[in-house]
Amino acid sequence: MAKYSDLEYLRLSKGQRFSYKLGQFFSSILPGIGNLFKRLGRGIAGVFGKFLGGIADIGRTFKNGDAKTKASFLVMGFGSIARGQILRGILFLLFEIVFIFYMATAGVKWLAMLPSLGKVGPTKEYNAVLDTYVTTYHDNSFKILLYGVLTIFFIIAFIYTWRVNVRQNKISQEMLENGIRLRSGKDDLRSLVDESFYKTLLALPLTGILVFTVLPLVFMVLVAFTNYDGANDGYFSGLFHWVGLDNFNQVLSWGSGSTVYSATFGEVLTWTLIWAFFATFSNYFLGMFVAMMINKKGIRFKKGWRTILVLTIAIPQFISLLYVSKMFAKDGIVNGTLLSWGWIKEALPFWTDPTWARVTVILINIWIGIPYLMLIATGILMNIPADLYESAKIDGASGWKQFSKITLPYMLFITGPYLLTSFTGNMNNFNVIYLLTGGNPINAAASSAAGQVGHTDLLITWLFKITTGTDSKYYMASVVGILIFVILAIITLIVYNVLPSVKNEEDFQ
Amino acid sequence: MSKQSDYDPSVMKKHMGMQAKTRASNTVIYIVLIIISIIWLAPFVFIVLQSFRVENTHMVGYIVPQQWGFDNYVKLAQTDFFRWYANTFIAAVCTALLQTIIVLCMSYTLSRFRFKMRRGLMKFMLILGLFPGMLTMIILYRVLKDLGMTQANAVPGLILVYIASSGMGYYVSKGFFDTVPKTLDEAARVDGATRAQVLWKIILPMAKPIVIYTVLTAFMGPWGDFIFARYISMNASAGMNVAVGLYSWLTADQINQRFTMFCAGGVLVAIPVTILFMCLQKYYVEGVTGGAVKG
Amino acid sequence: MATVKLTNVVKIYDNNVTAVHDFNLDIADKEFVVFVGPSGCGKSTTLRMIAGLEEISGGTVEIDGEVVNDLQPKDRHIAMVFQNYALYPHMTVYDNMAFPLRIKKMPEDEIYERVTHAAEILGITDYLMRKPRALSGGQRQRVAIGRAMVRDSKVFLMDEPLSNLDAKLRNQMRAEIILLRKRLDTTFIYVTHDQTEAMTLGDRIVIMKDGYIMQVGSPEEVFDRPGNLFVAEFIGAPKMNTIKAKLVRGDGEYHVAACGAVLKVGGEKGQMLRDMNVPTQDIILGVRPEHMVLAPEDDANAIDCTLEVNEMMGSEYHLHVVTDDGNKLIVRIPTITLTHDQRESLVPGVKLKVTCEGKVMHFFDTESEVNILYPCQAPIK
Repeated sequence: MAKYSDLEYLRLSKGQRFSYKLGQFFSSILPGIGNLFKRLGRGIAGVFGKFLGGIADIGRTFKNGDAKTKASFLVMGFGSIARGQILRGILFLLFEIVFIFYMATAGVKWLAMLPSLGKVGPTKEYNAVLDTYVTTYHDNSFKILLYGVLTIFFIIAFIYTWRVNVRQNKISQEMLENGIRLRSGKDDLRSLVDESFYKTLLALPLTGILVFTVLPLVFMVLVAFTNYDGANDGYFSGLFHWVGLDNFNQVLSWGSGSTVYSATFGEVLTWTLIWAFFATFSNYFLGMFVAMMINKKGIRFKKGWRTILVLTIAIPQFISLLYVSKMFAKDGIVNGTLLSWGWIKEALPFWTDPTWARVTVILINIWIGIPYLMLIATGILMNIPADLYESAKIDGASGWKQFSKITLPYMLFITGPYLLTSFTGNMNNFNVIYLLTGGNPINAAASSAAGQVGHTDLLITWLFKITTGTDSKYYMASVVGILIFVILAIITLIVYNVLPSVKNEEDFQ
Repeated sequence: MSKQSDYDPSVMKKHMGMQAKTRASNTVIYIVLIIISIIWLAPFVFIVLQSFRVENTHMVGYIVPQQWGFDNYVKLAQTDFFRWYANTFIAAVCTALLQTIIVLCMSYTLSRFRFKMRRGLMKFMLILGLFPGMLTMIILYRVLKDLGMTQANAVPGLILVYIASSGMGYYVSKGFFDTVPKTLDEAARVDGATRAQVLWKIILPMAKPIVIYTVLTAFMGPWGDFIFARYISMNASAGMNVAVGLYSWLTADQINQRFTMFCAGGVLVAIPVTILFMCLQKYYVEGVTGGAVKG
Repeated sequence: MATVKLTNVVKIYDNNVTAVHDFNLDIADKEFVVFVGPSGCGKSTTLRMIAGLEEISGGTVEIDGEVVNDLQPKDRHIAMVFQNYALYPHMTVYDNMAFPLRIKKMPEDEIYERVTHAAEILGITDYLMRKPRALSGGQRQRVAIGRAMVRDSKVFLMDEPLSNLDAKLRNQMRAEIILLRKRLDTTFIYVTHDQTEAMTLGDRIVIMKDGYIMQVGSPEEVFDRPGNLFVAEFIGAPKMNTIKAKLVRGDGEYHVAACGAVLKVGGEKGQMLRDMNVPTQDIILGVRPEHMVLAPEDDANAIDCTLEVNEMMGSEYHLHVVTDDGNKLIVRIPTITLTHDQRESLVPGVKLKVTCEGKVMHFFDTESEVNILYPCQAPIK
């Protein structure tokens, strides 16, 4: 596609400019994605190079190391203790001892069972004394998987610590050779409130994230490759085992598996995207509109109007959502009032007709979302320099022109990243859907096998239903969860890498 | 010329026209705003009115009760409602306290320190955030169950779940810390303060708005949480929070006996939270707008 | 009170940009040294490395004989004043000034003594109980200086302390810093981009560009004997006129051929050229505007030019002229030396002749831009 110089571009007509920009945008998508992969490749190459460099450095350290350093390759912390850094040395040594002890007593056992996830399931035997069948439990697939993952984490941590230990020896040795004093244990402790204060601050939050997010996610991603469900919970009802890509085949129909899941997945995904689009942009523009009305010069009680809207944020969502959901029920206030006024002959099918339900959900979401957007828009609107409007007025711009040429570009620019998070947030908006409709009305065509999926179900509420449904198909929940991640990741990557507005960050600063 | 135009009828008319136009458009806006206010407030007025309805307990098609009374509130005492209330309140207070500490640690560090893994860490958390958090619930439930922190004893388990990963929500307060000039830190360090003293004596006293915002949002979270509370309490009434408990009253088999009680319970939940929120509204607004602007 | 010594100091940022190249400087006890240069020249970075706010990528910084590379700012016994004042907004003026002393756990009585004493010197006693936001820019700057003053610091660092003040206040504070320096009697390192501040405050001036030192010297040295073209143009306002010219060696006398005129290089500069036996060569001729004079119309050896703009500054005229071969020059003429008729005649478009004496000429090599008579060591590009 032809590239115009700035001066050539200025000679184009409005239509030509638009089609030129559009063409530019689309033609930038492919290179953008290409760049992404290039960067990814470079990143991987970088990591690999660093890895090789690390190994080479370990070799050099061993070759040039003195006896203390060499001994530390086997006995971690030896060098540190021998050089007077007692505290560090003891911590290294302690870590090694704990690691070896753990591996010997448990770690090896879990690792060995990881490939099979357990061999002997629960058995039922007749017990003559009690005159009943007694179940004895043996292997526990759940624990094997969990502790297997933990053990792998532990091994990685050990290798890393060992590497740190080696580097530490190298640095200390060099420093001593150059006559520089080593840091004492006291110095180390003191630095934890000073230059290394960040380590202290991050310890608690990162441990929490590691234990309660990273570990469970790794576990759940692995579950997608097993048949872990209510009937095979790994201990009480039966073992579960690895099944490869079978579950993905079911959802994406790569193989010849059942199409129940793949059809349902397509339907739910489509609605999720539609929902996220309307939920995000309807709130965005209407919220901005309300904010502009309240902020208009000459409108009184600005604070009062704002407070009324903010009030609705204050009240816990479940109350308002549940109540509003009942307002629109067949025998709720809305239908009741309309019937008594004689405007309608029979109750409107707000929650029973798929299309009615979807539209109603989006409308009620506007009711929920406008106050937030009003607040955000108010903050940004007040930050737009007043002289921009003044000069626009002097240049003869009408109210609409002022909005479309100043307010809107400014808002879109500032809130670009917010729109993205808002879109992804809406894709995962469990509360609004689940509390309003519970996903209903039921999708009769799809509901049989794939959980009681309904016409307003999002991927996230479907996931919840799969998890809590009668079969508790955890592996399916995991597959859906992974797919949600993949979709969100693709959207995020495209927005961050291709959209020009996110790139030209300085334009309005 | 200016003198002339003051009396020129056509110019006068133009001015009048503009004033009238403004007045007309303002009137339209007032009408729209009044309608909006009614729509936004109506459900809450309805819920209050219905909580005082005595003549029956099921959903009805009218708004104003025929018979007024406190019956629904009194009947709440015979249910687990106040147990749920206490559960939620305890969870909310603990979460507010601990989550604030964690979020502040995280956001201050990411705003102020430049360490090797900083960018990688932020990207990693961004990626983690793209996974639906609900996914972790399955395994967390089983682990917490082994630890005895589910069902009737769900509250400690819930608190743990709420706070554990709260470090990932550092964004808004990091945005705030980014606006505090770095030279303040530097001046204090030159003045002899350690990094810890800088945080404690200089930055925290200045960070009051963001601390209040964080406490407020952390406190409100547990009142509205449904997913984790539902899953971890697992049908055990004693371990539910208000959201799960009140939700159970609206199921098909209960709604006809419990609907007005649901309204009463909702009012009791909404009142303290709303009062707290409205008092601290200023800080909330600052946080929300600041967070969105920084993206 | 201490010496500061920088040896081969280098700063390389994470993105591999080198901000400071091989910086060497010895600062004597109680000396007032000014780092000056355009923005991005590395002057602030160097100061911040001395303060411990930036990591030192290479070389050593010594304060009072001790290598401080690995010391935290708090352990370096320095005081620093920042450009944007860096006052703690939640503390009163008194608490701001007391902060460094409280960190040191000094008894409150002594803190009171010191803070009130410093406040008196700076004339901010009336504002001690105010918060910084209730103060004017000048008052804030005084508080910032006061906070640095109350400590017994070895070195006093100032990072563009006057840049945020308006011109009038800046002149006043500059004078006060000179007084303060007398009173404190300690080592000062002062960073500025303003050559006037550098000239009036410094015992020695370090002129920097792109991370390199261009010249180190007293104000007189850098003004009279700029080591290279950059220093020559940076010091002095309006900046020095530079013209492509030719230096011609005749019999025992040197001449400069510039703008169609031939100017004789007499006096000591001529003597120096002879002593150094400088050959005939192309040069860049530098002459400060205040050293150019109007020549009589019949002066055959003066430069012909046309007046473009005439700026009446009060005490002097700034004449922007363009020579016949297109060079633009500025000529500063004291008002008092002109008669009324002469002043009246200075209208744009009028033909003028300008010239200068040999002793005010500066000769720079066209390639290296180094001053031919006072070559400096520093790299240029």
